[in-house]
Parts: sequence; C-alpha cells; structure tokens
Amino acid sequence: MSAEDPRQKIPGVPRHRREFKALADGREPFFPNFLLKEWIAGAVFLAGFMLWVIYNPVILGPKADPTDTTFIPVPDWYFLFLFQFLKYFPGPDIILPGVVIPVIAILLMMFVPWLDRSKSRRPFRRPLATASMMLFIFMSIWLTAEAWGQHEVEIGAGVAQASSSNGLPFAVQHPTSKALLNTSMPGYTIFQQNCAGCHGSQLEGSVGPELRGIGNVATAQQLLPVVTKGFSPMMPPGGGLSDPKQLQSVVDWLAQQKQH
Amino acid sequence: MIKRTYDWIDERLNITPLWRDIADHDVPAHVNPANRMSSFVYCFGGLTFLMIVTQILSGMFLSMYYVPDINNAWYSVQYITNEVLLGQVVRGMHFWGASLVIIMMFLHMLRVFFTGAYKAPREMNWVVGVLIFVIVLAFGFTGYLLPWDQKAYWATSVGANLANTVPLIGPYLKSLLAGGSTIGALTLTRFFAIHVFFLPAALLVLLGLHFVMIRKAGIAGPM
Ligand code: HEC
Ligand code: HEM
Repeated sequence: MSAEDPRQKIPGVPRHRREFKALADGREPFFPNFLLKEWIAGAVFLAGFMLWVIYNPVILGPKADPTDTTFIPVPDWYFLFLFQFLKYFPGPDIILPGVVIPVIAILLMMFVPWLDRSKSRRPFRRPLATASMMLFIFMSIWLTAEAWGQHEVEIGAGVAQASSSNGLPFAVQHPTSKALLNTSMPGYTIFQQNCAGCHGSQLEGSVGPELRGIGNVATAQQLLPVVTKGFSPMMPPGGGLSDPKQLQSVVDWLAQQKQH
Repeated sequence: MIKRTYDWIDERLNITPLWRDIADHDVPAHVNPANRMSSFVYCFGGLTFLMIVTQILSGMFLSMYYVPDINNAWYSVQYITNEVLLGQVVRGMHFWGASLVIIMMFLHMLRVFFTGAYKAPREMNWVVGVLIFVIVLAFGFTGYLLPWDQKAYWATSVGANLANTVPLIGPYLKSLLAGGSTIGALTLTRFFAIHVFFLPAALLVLLGLHFVMIRKAGIAGPM
C-alpha cells in the first residue's frame, strides 16, 4: 500500500486507489468499500420485494363502466387518509379537506426549515416540530384505518344484516326450487370446473356452503371482493382462480342464481 | 484491452475526475450501518432510489403492451396480466413498487425530519424533497387511472370533482385535469402522457438536484 508503484494492483481493489483503508474515525470511501456492502442490503431488500410480488398477484377489476353509478369509489391506500377526511365535510365545505388543507399542508412542509429555526437538531430539543409531525403521522394512520374499515362495511352493504350465526357474508335462504339458472353463461362452465368441487355441481354445497339463491342476497359487485379474497384457510383466494375475467364471469353467473 | 480503451477515452475526455469524485468521497461513520446497526435509517433514501429505478424499468416494459385508449386499455392490461410472459410479475412489480416507493420515501422524509437534517445549509434540499414527494404522489394518482377498471374510473372522478370545487378557476382546473367535462378518452391519454413523460422528466431533474446538493453539503453530521 505504500506509494512505490501507484499502479500496483491490490487484489479486489480498483487500480487507481490510493490510501483507502477505513480511516481511523470510521469514515470510508463511497466506492468500492461502502457500495460493496451497501448493495447487499439492496439485494436483500429486492429479494424480499420480489417474493412479495410473486405471492401477491395483482388482479384487474371489472372494466370501467361510466353508467354504473352504484360503484363505491376508493383510492389507492396512500390517498385513503385524504379520502376519509373528505367525508367529514359534506356539501360545498368539501373544498377545505379536498384542496385548501392539503395545499396549506404542503406549503407548511416546504417551509419547515424556516418555521423551525432552533439551533438544535435533536428531536426532543425542538418539541413543537416533533409533536406536529407525530400528530400528523398519528392522524394519517387513524384516518386510513377509519377509511379502510368503512369501505369494507360499504362493500358488504346489506350483508351485515343478512349475516347469520354461521358468520358467512351472504347467508342463503335454502330455497325450495333447485334448478340452476342461466347455465349458458360462461361463468357456469368456469364454476363447474373450479368451484363445484367444494360448492357442489348443483350449488348444493359440500366442503363449502350451499350457494343456491345467492343472487337474492348478493350482487356481482358484492360477490367479487368476497370470492377474490377467499376464506383462509377453507377457500383459496379467488376460489383457485386468478384470472380477473374468469372471476368476473363466475360472480356474474352466481348473481343470477335467484332460486326461491 | 479494457484499460487501454479506458485510457484512450480518458485522454480525450478526461472522465476520471467525474467518477473519482463520486467514488472517493468519504461516507461518514455515523451513517454507515456496518458501524452501528441503527444507522440503517440512513439507507432509506438509497432504497427509495433503488425502487424508483425498478419502477422506471418495469414501467418501460409495461409500456410495450399497454394501450392508452378507453376501448383497449383494460384489455391490454388484462393481456399483460394473463398472456404476456412474466407479465403478471412485471405488473406486480410496478403495482407493489408504487406503494413501496411511497413507504420508503415517507420513512426517508421522517429520518431527515427527526434528525433535523433540513436545517442550514440543507434547506433547499428539503424543499426539493417536498417537491419530489408531490411528484411521486402525482405518479400514484395518474397511474391509478391507467388500467381503466371500475376503481380507476371512479377514483379519478372523485379527484376531478374536487378540482371543480376550487373557487373561480374550478371548472377550468377540472377540464385541464380531465381534458373535458367528463372522465373519458381524453382523460386517459392525458394521464398516460403525464404519467410516462411529464412526471418522469420532472422527477429526474429534481432527483439530479437532490443528489448534487447532497454531494455539495455532505450528509448532516451526527446530532
Ligand atoms: C377448497 C374448497 C373451495 C373452493 C374450490 C371454492 N370454495 Fe367457496 N367456499 C368454501 C368454503 C369452505 C366456504 C365457507 C367459508 C366459511 O365458512 O367461512 C366458501 C364460501 C364461499 C362464498 C360465500 C358464501 C356465503 O354464503 O356467504 C362464496 C360466494 C364462494 N365461496 C364462492 C366460490 C366460488 C365462486 C368459487 C370458485 C371460483 C369457490 N367458492 C371455490 C370452499 C371453497
Ligand atoms: C424519490 C424520492 C427520494 C430519493 C430517491 C431520495 C434520496 C436521497 C438520498 C440517497 C439521500 C442521502 C441520505 C439518505 O439516504 O438518507 C437523501 C438525503 C436527503 N433527502 Fe432525500 N430522497 C427522496 C425524497 C426526499 C424527500 C421527500 C425529502 C423531504 C421532504 C428529502 C429530503 C432530503 C434531505 C434534506 C437530505 C439531506 C439529509 C442529510 O444531509 O442528512 N428527500 N435523499
């Protein structure tokens, strides 16, 4: 490592390196020392991410239908807190949570360095800044949780009262007419191939519950999230289906099963 | 051979100082998790960047199949999901990656906030950071419409109606966003252009500024 020959190659180290052993105070050069360790952290992070991606396939919801005004809108999770905030200001006041407050919040954030002018950087020495941020985090988490809970309830609207002691979302009324309806729909075939094993080829139920008359208590829109989610561990997500189009066909067909 | 090629280029363009500056600057001890495990909070910015890179890559591949038109958008996404080789994985990366960028960026911002690293001389970099934050949220908002499914359509309607409530300029703001009076073909092409051209351009410029400023001011010292 002495300077006799600057081009002398030190194994594992790029040619142009001068003195590069970690310095006494713990500093080290960005490249290669730091980056060689850093990429390991990145690789582990990416590997975890890929596992998550592979085990959590994304599904595509039904195609947009501008005429279907019954659809309950829901944003992606990171906008839920804002979405929930809107609900507390009905009518024209919606401009407050929808526009005014977010704009003020962003401006406040931008001016943080000039709002908090204390010399100290320690969080406890600048209680106002720390407390404001804590409050913001707490409120966001709380609003998100509220929005989430309410959306689950809305999706299963009309389901809550139907839900009987067995805890199923859609309690069918065990109708007396047994004939299957609309068996020419594509969903019928998909059902026979994927779901009949558990729910019976005549919807009479075996491992899974009877589904005759399910169209009386649930619409396709209510069924879709329930079937997509499945019932861990008894029913796999999507009942074993992952193709959103097939899922849609199946629930469309199920929603037609209005036996009495 | 490689060395001779490098020297040949270097003689002409003098590129060594460019990368030596990046390679040689010291990483201080207090941000290096190899010294103290709790320093991992200083990795959040780098991990955010890693996710931004994967978002750009997966987005580039998605755009090979995606069609920004109201009749075909949904079918093209369905095709990506069910037919394209590894389409499900690439779409999954882009979908989950969007959330992860936001989570990591938020954690990074909290790290900067609670270590008071936005104080002089780093005020400008904090402002750039807030702008980046807004841009990333805009990525999320515009990207959500692109699959053209029910969720996409109705969430965007809520957004457009919000724009409408702004006094005086509301209706103009709404048609600027939606490209018309309702969410339709023009909204989709507009959101697509914003999502894949306007926002990435803005993001890359801001990230460039972000990194140059970090390099100039250095990472804030221990508290
Ligand atoms: C491995 C067996 C199995 C398969 C396959 C299966 N299910 Fe199920 N399903 C169940 C079980 C078990 C339940 C009841 C869960 C409980 O008791 O909480 C259930 C419940 C349901 C319910 C709720 C019923 C109610 O009254 O609320 C619906 C709807 C449903 N399944 C639809 C489907 C569809 C559609 C398919 C095919 C795509 C399918 N299932 C495939 C086992 C299965
Ligand atoms: C895409 C988003 C972003 C990326 C990729 C990114 C990347 C980085 C990186 C790699 C660092 C070096 C230190 C570290 O990793 O902690 C850094 C520092 C910094 N970032 Fe970001 N950042 C992003 C968003 C933000 C946001 C949203 C803010 C604030 C609102 C912000 C403010 C800062 C500041 C002030 C520093 C200097 C901190 C110091 O010197 O200790 N950044 N950023």
